[in-house]
Amino acid sequence: MGILVDENTKVVVQGITGRVGSIQAKLMLDYGTKIVAGVTPGKGGTFIHNVPVYDTVEEAVAKTGADTSILFVPAAFAKDAVIEAVDAGIKLIVAIPEHVPVHDTMRMIEYAKRRNVKIIGPTTPGVISPGKTKIGIMPASVFSEGSVGIVSRSGTLLYEIAGNLSLAGIGQSTCLGIGGDPVVGTSLTEVLQMFQEDDQTKAVVIVGEIGGVQEEEAAHFIKQMNKPVVAYIAGRSAPPGQRMGHAGAIILGERGTVESKINALREAGVKVANRPADIVGIVEDIIKK
Amino acid sequence: MRLLEYEAKELFRNFGIPVPNGAVVKSPAEIALAIERVGLPLVVKAQVPVGGRGKAGGIKLAYSFEEAVREAENLLYSSLKGHTVRYVLLEKQLKIAKEYYLGVTIDQSAGKPVVMLSTEGGMDVEEIAKKKPESLISKRVEMSRGFYEFEARGMCKQLGLEGSLLVKVSETLRKLYEVFIKYDAIIAEINPLAITENGEVFAADAKIEIDDDALFRQTSLNIKPEERVEDPLKAEAIKIGVTYVRLDGDIGVIGSGAGLTMATIDIINDFGGKASNFLETGGGITEQLMYNAVKLLVKDERLKALFINLYGGINPMVQAANGIAKAYRELKVTIPILVKLVGNEQEKAWEILENAGIPVIKSIRTEDAVERLMKIIEGF
Repeated sequence: MGILVDENTKVVVQGITGRVGSIQAKLMLDYGTKIVAGVTPGKGGTFIHNVPVYDTVEEAVAKTGADTSILFVPAAFAKDAVIEAVDAGIKLIVAIPEHVPVHDTMRMIEYAKRRNVKIIGPTTPGVISPGKTKIGIMPASVFSEGSVGIVSRSGTLLYEIAGNLSLAGIGQSTCLGIGGDPVVGTSLTEVLQMFQEDDQTKAVVIVGEIGGVQEEEAAHFIKQMNKPVVAYIAGRSAPPGQRMGHAGAIILGERGTVESKINALREAGVKVANRPADIVGIVEDIIKK
Repeated sequence: MRLLEYEAKELFRNFGIPVPNGAVVKSPAEIALAIERVGLPLVVKAQVPVGGRGKAGGIKLAYSFEEAVREAENLLYSSLKGHTVRYVLLEKQLKIAKEYYLGVTIDQSAGKPVVMLSTEGGMDVEEIAKKKPESLISKRVEMSRGFYEFEARGMCKQLGLEGSLLVKVSETLRKLYEVFIKYDAIIAEINPLAITENGEVFAADAKIEIDDDALFRQTSLNIKPEERVEDPLKAEAIKIGVTYVRLDGDIGVIGSGAGLTMATIDIINDFGGKASNFLETGGGITEQLMYNAVKLLVKDERLKALFINLYGGINPMVQAANGIAKAYRELKVTIPILVKLVGNEQEKAWEILENAGIPVIKSIRTEDAVERLMKIIEGF
């Protein structure tokens, strides 16, 4: 099964004719993702990579039955694109853009949540259910199909850890980045809830980093989980008070430190790896048991 | 981007939030006139974008003209908590009877603004929450609905305020929320709100931090972030569109993605090295961006090696490889560079780098790369 997306997910790409949107749409199509439509205002009626392009998401949904959207629009237009997708009846929105103003993010999440629409991101690499579908910008080569779910606050660190697991012959059910912003559409805890319900997922890897309290909140839920959870937290050597790339990655006073997160997770029974590559050995041990 | 106190107070004034009478000076020649305009006794306040100014000696009281001139001259151009004082604010002293805390910030877990009020101002809100939790009330706001003055009045009432004070404080709290919304703030705080002996209220201090990602539309503020950082490398980083944080080691690090870059620095530490910086490219790596990033770091004389750790994101990795190779060639880089790079068409990217004489590590493990890097450094 996997979570959120599978081989039947019908995707509309918002911003499909842009430089980035067209390259990434092609890579997703190559992977086997069912991209049924693209949207670029003013380009309706044309085709790109044999995918029909529409002027509006509403039209794309009406004509193709798309249920999931991926955004490749400039950050300043992300809120507009999300609300358009929600109104068109899209049920899952993968918000790739970085640097979306946080007020816009709060507004679009509020709007989507009230209508039971899920947003992944912003600043997410997307979601991949290896072997089934890839709705994101991640390099496909590092993922392989299997039974480990990975949820990450960072994109590229997700690739590194998935790649390490794949090389060791450990495949994944679904992997996703929830986004590095202070406010995100879907939290670490919400993703863990989905993995808990998923038949294919036998163990979960959390890739966390400094800032915020998502790992601490997740630790509460993990106590009720019956699946093993392994974690790695980045940022041990990050100085306090500095935003480390992600707007959300900042230690403020005692909040958001690696120690606080590791302690909370360990207390919930999570095995915490010291380095990214150490995840492999820990997961191997769990699988053997 | 955090505004200076006097800038934040200008915004407050525009929204009808009362602030003490004051004047800002940016050169010694302006001090005398400012003192005359504001009147004695004065508070002389260094304008730097960090908290804890008082403790660091950045806030002085002055009762005579000479004292005010001396304090203002001493603060101007001095260094306070790593920042050069370019502006000094001279403010009329208030006869303060009580201090409150008013704040609007973002509750990250709820994904909503949160409005806060406490009758125990003058200390950090974290400290209030710890020491006097019963004095602190907070309310999350649905942005599509907004925050209304009757809600502010309800909060005031819960804390026992009454009469004209209840009206003045709730009005100020509602206006503070408006400032927060209007300027894409991530924090808007009045700490303290001074309640004077004759029952007037004034924002004695003002803290506003604007979302960097929203500066493009906050044009009325006219903020150029690169002009507001002290470190020239950081200023250049802002200009070329990367995130740079100075660290105290000697190994330069460029990474794609914040998590990977932090992990890289952690691993360097584990292997006995120390990074000179955190430099994160973001997802959209182009040839020019990569060239600029290498150019920025090799200016740093502390550097004895440079490690570049990249995954293909939005753009193909070939562009990144071209940028690195170009920088290596044109800037005649003499320190060793090691590159780990994974993504679509990685073989092509590796070939470009190897042809330029730059060693490439083809493992996916950052640990392997750092191990190799340390060996290269030892051998140099």
